[in-house]
Amino acid sequence: MSTIPPRPPRHTWRVIGLFLAPAVAAYLLLTVYPVLRTIYNSLLEIRPREPSVFVGARNYVQLATDKTFWLAVKHTVIWATLAPLLEVGIGLLLALGLYARVPMARFFRVAWFAPVLISYVVVSIMWSWLYNYDWGIVNIALRAVGLEALQKAWLGEPRFALAALILVDVWKWTAFHMVVCLAALQGLPREVLEAAEIDMCGWVRKLRFIAVPMIAPTLLGLLVLGFIGKMKVFDLVWLMTQGGPLWSTETVSTYVYKRAFDWNTFDLGYPSAVATVWFAAILACVILFVTLFRQRDTLEY
Amino acid sequence: MPHARALGRWLLFGLLALYTAFAIGPVLWLASMSLRTTAEIDRAHYALPTTWHWWKFAAAWVDSSYRVYFWNSVIVVGISVLILVAIGGMAGYCLARYHFRGNRVIFFAIFSTIMLPPQITVISFFQILVEYRLFNTLAGLIIVYIGVQLPLTLQILESFFKRIPQELFDAARLDGYSDFAIYWRIAFPIATPAVVTVVIVNFILLWNEFLYAVVLITADEKRTLPLGVYKFMGDQFSDVGMVATGAIISIVPVIIAYTFFSEKIIQGMRG
Repeated sequence: MSTIPPRPPRHTWRVIGLFLAPAVAAYLLLTVYPVLRTIYNSLLEIRPREPSVFVGARNYVQLATDKTFWLAVKHTVIWATLAPLLEVGIGLLLALGLYARVPMARFFRVAWFAPVLISYVVVSIMWSWLYNYDWGIVNIALRAVGLEALQKAWLGEPRFALAALILVDVWKWTAFHMVVCLAALQGLPREVLEAAEIDMCGWVRKLRFIAVPMIAPTLLGLLVLGFIGKMKVFDLVWLMTQGGPLWSTETVSTYVYKRAFDWNTFDLGYPSAVATVWFAAILACVILFVTLFRQRDTLEY
Repeated sequence: MPHARALGRWLLFGLLALYTAFAIGPVLWLASMSLRTTAEIDRAHYALPTTWHWWKFAAAWVDSSYRVYFWNSVIVVGISVLILVAIGGMAGYCLARYHFRGNRVIFFAIFSTIMLPPQITVISFFQILVEYRLFNTLAGLIIVYIGVQLPLTLQILESFFKRIPQELFDAARLDGYSDFAIYWRIAFPIATPAVVTVVIVNFILLWNEFLYAVVLITADEKRTLPLGVYKFMGDQFSDVGMVATGAIISIVPVIIAYTFFSEKIIQGMRG
């Protein structure tokens, strides 16, 4: 921020206006307005073919004691914490493997990335079958090694359904994190690693003590973005378990959807309150992370 | 020492190969089932096709409304991406190349909405589309998709336009180009790599989009592919082989794109 930009002449303002108008209009009409409207909705009771009734904070009071909502919060937070840790962890290991110049690295990278591109609908079909009690690969594998006792309907048992879903999430997204880690590793200055080579550092120690600490900011960024992203998890849960069995995989997003469009309560006000609370929670996380990193940066430099 | 090293490398290779089986095994399995009949699959769930039943693809395409779903997806994704590039390109260019008060405020206001959970807009979008008679229309879904994907599009294009050297623009201005001509005749062609990235990323995300579609589309003839596959799965529930065929059809465009542009796609999704 060295110089103050000169004030644009009037005709330039007109150009700027023309360039920006469509995007700003789309932003105001298709983002700001719907968000504000949902927040306002949360103060109403909205039933089809009836005038909406203003109920003040009633939805929020109800929310505070809604056991299903808090269960959904718990599952979502577990998911948002566990999945990024696994995905970034495994992604980093895979990236280190490719960075060590194994043969066929290019093929590996392209093959691993395929799940990222496949729609959740197809992913959910595939994995429901893999978890099938009779002919799913998981139970077949267990039978093959003589562990029949451990066979389960993986998506049908409340104790295992959430873990089974998180595994699918890990399957789908790990390669994404791998690619980012690999790019960060390849961006490291060669000299540092060569210096380590001279110091008689082995591959593993070199990676462990030099390469990984150097890409720590990238890893942290991935974890944070992952956490915020997974707070929104919907498709996989809705398609595979619809939050069941016995609410054991209910997440905030599926609960909002259920209450808004799938229950016979026909009230859009209450799910709007849930969405608003969750929006505030995500916003709070973002602000928290941003301020935390600001402080770290000022400490380091 | 060299022995230990070679052993270590083979061990590493083995582990990575194992992960590869985990990553694409399920996809290959689904692909193999798409070419086998349900009777064959029931006899052996994990086997390669003995006769390749390509007719199943024709059957899925003809007997169900797959054709309709497919074209709906093409229309919705195609038009959304086109409009996104048009408005995101202009705004990205403007925010990258013009210095004016409020520039960063506008950029971050739009960009920050990337973290919005879809739930905060999906209920009111439902109301809005019903009010404007756009519920159950492809146009309604397109409008919503534009709003949802604008921040990402703007961010990718803005950061590219920013890196173009200023001398180019100064020279163009001396040659008497108008502001819009500089954008359209000079900046936009240079930005082709970023535009390709935007097209690819938006294509994949929107081609697979489920939440907004399932809320805003209920009529069968308006379904996009993810909804179609979802319905097909419900209809053909016990016909495992046919469901697999339907699922594979829906990912063919993505597979084709990936075969030709794998590097570009990986880079694009990363950014």
